[in-house]
Parts: sequence; structure tokens; C-alpha cells
Amino acid sequence: MKKDDFLVKMVGISKRFGTVQALKNVDFTVKHQEVIGLVGDNGAGKSTLIKILTGVYPPDKGEIYFEGKKECIDSPKKARDMGIETVYQHLALIDLMSISRNFFLGRELTRIIVGLFNFLDKKKIDEISERALENVGIKVRDVNEEVSVLSGGERQAVAIGRAIFFGVKLLVLDEPTAALSIKESQKVLDYVTGAKERGLSVIFITHNIYHVYSVADRFIILEHGVKIGDSEKSKVSSEKIIEVIRTGKELS
Amino acid sequence: MINKSKISSRVALLFRKHTEFSALTGLIIIFIMFCFIATRFLTAESIAGILSVSSELGIVAAGVTFLMITGEFDLSVGSTFALSAMIFAITANAGFPLWAGFLLSLSVASFLGLINGFITTKFGIPSFITTLGTMMFWRGMILAITGGFGVRYWGTSSFLFVLNGIFFKGFRISSLWFFAVIFSLNLILTKTPYGNTTYATGGDEEAARVLGISVNRVKITNFIISATLAGLSGCIQFARFRSIDPTRGTGLELEAIAAVVVGGTLMSGGYGNLVGTLFGVLLMGMVRSGLIMAGAPAYWYQAFIGIILISAVIINVKLKRWAVK
Repeated sequence: MKKDDFLVKMVGISKRFGTVQALKNVDFTVKHQEVIGLVGDNGAGKSTLIKILTGVYPPDKGEIYFEGKKECIDSPKKARDMGIETVYQHLALIDLMSISRNFFLGRELTRIIVGLFNFLDKKKIDEISERALENVGIKVRDVNEEVSVLSGGERQAVAIGRAIFFGVKLLVLDEPTAALSIKESQKVLDYVTGAKERGLSVIFITHNIYHVYSVADRFIILEHGVKIGDSEKSKVSSEKIIEVIRTGKELS
Repeated sequence: MINKSKISSRVALLFRKHTEFSALTGLIIIFIMFCFIATRFLTAESIAGILSVSSELGIVAAGVTFLMITGEFDLSVGSTFALSAMIFAITANAGFPLWAGFLLSLSVASFLGLINGFITTKFGIPSFITTLGTMMFWRGMILAITGGFGVRYWGTSSFLFVLNGIFFKGFRISSLWFFAVIFSLNLILTKTPYGNTTYATGGDEEAARVLGISVNRVKITNFIISATLAGLSGCIQFARFRSIDPTRGTGLELEAIAAVVVGGTLMSGGYGNLVGTLFGVLLMGMVRSGLIMAGAPAYWYQAFIGIILISAVIINVKLKRWAVK
């Protein structure tokens, strides 16, 4: 069988929340080792589209193909098991829990003691999370410390480090630079490039066209739940993208 | 210099991880105090008496702790406690083997927990309300069924000894049940993936959900744990008194919550442990016995616990703020 060109192919996705048509017949694709910039104004439907892909919401209509196979992604766990890791706007870190416990939350490493019970393999959890964070260039004081003691940038880094470590195929970043300083934002952009070099595909959702323009290969523009643009970087300038978002006129 | 800051951050971390420090300190202070003001406080009989009272409260409080860490409340533990004991007593009098009646009581208790969990998660209402409702409902049912009369069991059985017999100088088996419950729940909470899941559900439900944790299942399971332990405690107390009246366990839910909170567990969920609850429960049992032995009227117990509760929470909040800095 020929390997499909697309890692992700979403066809004719529609979603309605009460009276609001959040998405209308949207097609969305991600190629292997491609960085997609998913852009659009507030309420354009970017987050909804991603939440459908990551199993948070079921679509009302439409089909999702992953690596050429039709999939029904009915839970976040399913998405994670398939190799889709997401860094949400609110980061999905539990403040009161330690960094290492957060790192492996939902996919804990265990070892069997007394031949019966599955216990956390704390030593391994600490070691691996520390090493994985170092690999993406994050140095924490102690992985046993709670996430609540970290700064905004550090938390972002932990969330991204976790996603890169587990995100074997697709990494989804929802507004990753929104709350960060310039230096920290640059670091996030470096993680994205690094992830791509390792063979991952990335979906980068943002308002900040200049951030995403430097790292993305292709741009998909949404407006009021409709796709109004889908273009390779070489064929569109950042100014043009901003103009399309501002006017809401389809990219020709 | 670097070393010094590393040490102080280690100490702060230790304080944040071990919520039970202040309860332990309080326990020691009050213990020493009563040793001076209450004669015969430091005798085997007195310690055994404290343990008997603490164990029955403690088994309930252990379940309440687990549930509170999940971010939920169970106000119906007192009613569950009474209903289980009542079923145990009635089936025993009807000639059922005691172990069968015991298992039936626990099954009913766990079913009550399932109902609490189901209503709370299915309809998305605060568990404070759900369990306030079921607390009243089951208490009403008990009163209706018994007509307000108590039930006494006249028979003898070695099974009652297993539940709550005296095994050494006034020491009761209930304390072994209590320690076993604390130990195993603490093990689950701190050393297993399920414990991680429980902390995460209480700490940030939305984040837990997007990480693939089925938060509703965790909540329902922990409602069941809390109710089953309340039922167990009801049966254990019945084994001590051999009788049960329909108002037994009234106010138990608040006493349990007080013990849990004194032990350092956060009411908002995601933080705490069972060692703290162990100390909190012992502290309350000690105050109860100590005051009586010091010759104070029994009403002073409630007043004293009120003061301890508020001071403990103030200290815990201050300590935590200091440790996070």
C-alpha cells in the first residue's frame, strides 16, 4: 500500500453549538513533517477544529483520516494513543502536582510489586522527565517541585517538553506564545523547528502572524467557521495573511 | 550560597509535600497538655479508649479525605453509617449469618456511594448539594422503617470479635481496621497511577480531562470508596455497642470533615493525604477523652474542636504561603 501523503486529513467537518455554527464544511490537511500555521480572528473556529481532531468534541459531520486510515477519535485518550499531543492554551498542567507527575499524567510508568499491584515507578518517572526536559533545553531546579512554583515561561516549556516527548507524530500548539515574553516566545519557535527536524508534524494556532510566519510551511486561514485560505508560505506574504484575516475576504 | 538556597528550597518543598506537619505538632502539644492536666490520661486504658473512638471516626474520615482530594464532598456518610449498621443489625436478628449481613451492608453502602457519584457527575451539580439531599433522604428512610426505635442484637458471634473485639488491655480490633484503611488508601493515593489520577481530578478537572483521564469514573469510584468505608465503620461501631438507634451518626459528616481539614487536606481538592487525617482524627479523639478525664463537662468538646479547626486551617494556610515563596 502506498503511504498516504497526508498525516492528517479532515474532510467536510461541521460543528454547531446551539445556535452558533462553529465550523462549516471545513477541509483540513497536514502533511508529514509539515508545520501548519492555523490562523484567524477570535471565534474563527480554530480551537474548535483542533478540539475535534484531539477528541475533545465529536464533529456533527465530516471524516477524519490519520495516516490514511479513517479514524473515529472519540476521546482525548484515543488521540494521545494515536500519537497526537496537544499543548492547550491553559497548558493542562495540574498546579498542585509535581513536575514529574504532571509529565507522565495519564500515562504513568509503573512496575509490579508483590506480583499483583501496579505501583508508580517514581525513580524512572523523575529521571526520564528530567532528561526529556533537558533535551528540549529546559532546566528545572527539581522535578519534584510543584508546577505552581514555576514562571509562566517555564510552565509553557514543561507543557511543550511533555508534548514533544510523547508527541511521536503530531504536535498541536494552541496559542503557545500568547502569554510569553519575547525571549520565551523565541524559545517556543525553536522547539517547533526542533520538533519538525525530528520528523514530527506541527499545527501552530496563533494570532501572532509574525511568530508563526517564521516557522510554518503552510497557512490555513479560518473565518466564522469557514476556511478562507490555504496556501504554501512561498506563495503568500505575512502582510497578505493579515489582510485576509482583517477583511475576511477569501484568499485568491 | 547556591547550596544554602538549595537546602532552603528543599525544606520548603518538604513542608509543601507533607501537609501533616501542623496536625502532628498540634497532636503532640495537646498530648503533653493533657498529660499534665488530666490524671490517668497516660494509661493503657485511656489510650485504648482514645483509639476506639478515633478508629470509628477515622475510617469514615479516611474515605472523606480520598473524596475531598478528588474535589468532592460526602455529607451523607453519617446516614450511610447508620443505614449499614441498621441493615447489619436487622439481618443478624433475622438469623442471617453475620458475615452475610455484613457483606450486604457494605454492598448497600457502596450502592449509596454510586448513587451520590452518579447524580453528581450526570447532572453536574455540586456534591455538597447531592449528598446533603441523600443525607436527609436516607436518614428519613431509616426513621420511617424503624419507626424511630433502635435495634439490639442479643446473640453472640466470633464475627463481632473480628470487627471490633478487645484483643489486648482494652485495645480494640477497630484500631487495626483503621490503620489498615489509612495505610492502604495512602499507598493507593501516593504510589499508584490511580492516586495520580485522583489528585489530578481534584487539582484541575479540565486539564485532567484533556489528558485523557475519565474524571467522572474517578469521581464515582471515590464516592463509592467513601460510602463503603462509612458503612464499614457503622458495622464496626455496631459490633462494639451491639445496638443501633436511628439517629446514630448524626453530625458524623462534619466531624469527619473537621478531622480531614485539621490534617491539612484542602477543601478545594487536589492536595492532602491520609497521614494528616490520621493525626487529625487522633487529635480529636484525644481532646474528647482528655477533656472528660480533666473533669470538664462533655459540651466543651465541641467548643474546643471549633477552636482547633479554625487555628489549624489558619496555620496550614500560613505555612503553605510561606513554603510556596
